[in-house]
Amino acid sequence: MLQMRKLSKVYRTHLIETHALRGFDIHVREGEFVAVTGPSGSGKTTFLNIAGLLEEFTDGEYLIDGVPVRGLDDNARSRLRNEKIGFIFQGFNMIPDLNLFDNVDVPLRYRGFKAPERKARIEHALERVGLASRMKHYPAELSGGQQQRVAIARALAGDPRLLLADEPTGNLDSAMARGVMELLEEINAQGTTIVMVTHDPELAQRAQRNVHIIDGQVSDLEHVTPLARVAARGAEAAVA
Amino acid sequence: MEIKPILSTLMRNKTGVFVIAAQVALTLAIVANVFYIVRDRLAEANRPSGVDEDNTFMIGVGAYRPVVDPMADIARDLAGLRALPGVTHATLANQMPLAQSGNNSGVSVDRSQQQISTSVAFYEAADSLVDALGLKLVAGRDLAPSDVIEIQVGENSPEGPFPVVVTQALIDKVFPGETQPIGKLLYLGVGPNADELRIVGVVEALTTPWGRASWGLANRGDVSMIVPFRRATDSPLYIVRTEPGARAAAMKAAEALLVKPGNGRVLGANRSMTELRERRYRSDRFMVGLMGTMTGLLLVVTASGILGMASLWVNQRRKQIGVRRALGATRFDIVRYYLTENFIVTGIGIVVGIGLAFALNAMVASELGLERLPLAHLGIGVVLLWVIGQIAAYAPARRASLIAPATATRSV
Repeated sequence: MLQMRKLSKVYRTHLIETHALRGFDIHVREGEFVAVTGPSGSGKTTFLNIAGLLEEFTDGEYLIDGVPVRGLDDNARSRLRNEKIGFIFQGFNMIPDLNLFDNVDVPLRYRGFKAPERKARIEHALERVGLASRMKHYPAELSGGQQQRVAIARALAGDPRLLLADEPTGNLDSAMARGVMELLEEINAQGTTIVMVTHDPELAQRAQRNVHIIDGQVSDLEHVTPLARVAARGAEAAVA
Repeated sequence: MEIKPILSTLMRNKTGVFVIAAQVALTLAIVANVFYIVRDRLAEANRPSGVDEDNTFMIGVGAYRPVVDPMADIARDLAGLRALPGVTHATLANQMPLAQSGNNSGVSVDRSQQQISTSVAFYEAADSLVDALGLKLVAGRDLAPSDVIEIQVGENSPEGPFPVVVTQALIDKVFPGETQPIGKLLYLGVGPNADELRIVGVVEALTTPWGRASWGLANRGDVSMIVPFRRATDSPLYIVRTEPGARAAAMKAAEALLVKPGNGRVLGANRSMTELRERRYRSDRFMVGLMGTMTGLLLVVTASGILGMASLWVNQRRKQIGVRRALGATRFDIVRYYLTENFIVTGIGIVVGIGLAFALNAMVASELGLERLPLAHLGIGVVLLWVIGQIAAYAPARRASLIAPATATRSV
């Protein structure tokens, strides 16, 4: 689904060169739920930006759903981003002047769907996150957890193959974070590939696989089977 | 097109929308009316006078010594003028088209009238003014030498009846729809003693000395008549027509002929018809220039307002533009969003401005003698403001489109 080979990203100013990623290799398979962890400044966000086609890389190779992205122009990158990738941001990134319906509508309009199809998709996506009854509300009228659910609905409405989540629970309290995480697991269980950047080791543990980044390189991989995850969740529930 | 979300966004940013829309509305109201006034003034300044303007001039002289026999002097002057190289016609007259000074009289069409039907520029000419000014006779005949009535110094104007040549504009005004005006009677003034005037000829046009008539603007200054008076005066005014290209030399020669050292005369004025037109409409042209400049500045201020507001909105929404880009908007989508938003805001101003334009027109129309604002002028104003709005908003829209999609993932 997502494959990077010997990928590097260098930020250059007239004074300094910063290697944000170097020799970066990763392969995320279809249907996986991968957590990307690492200390601040390790290159997690750079990885996410490049994975989401928000930034270009300096060298190496990157294929998304088998399509090499090197050399694609801005329009092609925008189209690919719109069709294949859903984003969930740490700060929710709702558009404050639009109600929930119109917020979820944003990527669908760029996709070129007709109004009836957009309406059906928006209603379905909001139903999926449990907020269909509040589609005329504005983001400021919702809690952080609800806003993040709307963001997830917005990311899902276009049926992306890959969901990229940037600290999706970073601005939420633990109860809300748990709810969002369960929603992501449910989405993953339905077949959507998820790559989640997080600081939180507990959340990372709930992913199938952890990728740890240090100094712009993948330092180790930890595989967790879905079965083990389910068992771990059962144990947590028993303790609670 | 993102009309609905844009409207939704604008509804939540009413102050900015109000400021720009109000500015656009006022600008449209002013611009549309200024266009109309400017066009009206320019049309007036370029309106045909009916005169062969390229080949005519007037020369007037004054006397600083008593004149013994003014009629003899006038006859000698005219003979001399007609003998000048290139001169084809010359006549004594009391006034000149567009010279901004002259006589007008009231006329009526019935002795029972209590009020005059119209005022009319009252041209007195001893010889053919039709020939001297190159007027186009469209009906009847010119005044003949046998029609001429001599008026000595100190005498009052004679009582009628006497023949007159009138302009088509006068016929249209006092006998609307009349196709056989020859032989019709007019009366100088009102009441049972008003002098009788019999129309013997009609000229296509003869503008008044003021151009746009000062007493009523609707007639546009073409309501004139010519009466066959030879009025003795020590300050005669002559109207002279020349062959093409001979006017400048003829004007010099005429001045040399009429004003000589020791002949007791001073030059009053020696002006070509071209100069008279230029002098008559100089203030109008100045006003057109001034209004044009002020309107241009107003448009610049409005464009600056749109530019400023669009820039502010782009700066305020950097993060959300990044989010839109991250969600799949192309650069073109972003440019289109901001241009559409500007189109809508300008459109709100335009809708209000159309109403304001008509209200302003209603206020100034009666003052300036204008008719109702033509829709075409409003259309020009509407298109102009929309185009200016789009041009002003383009730079901020383009800047917005260059905001990196990665802005969406930055915390600040």
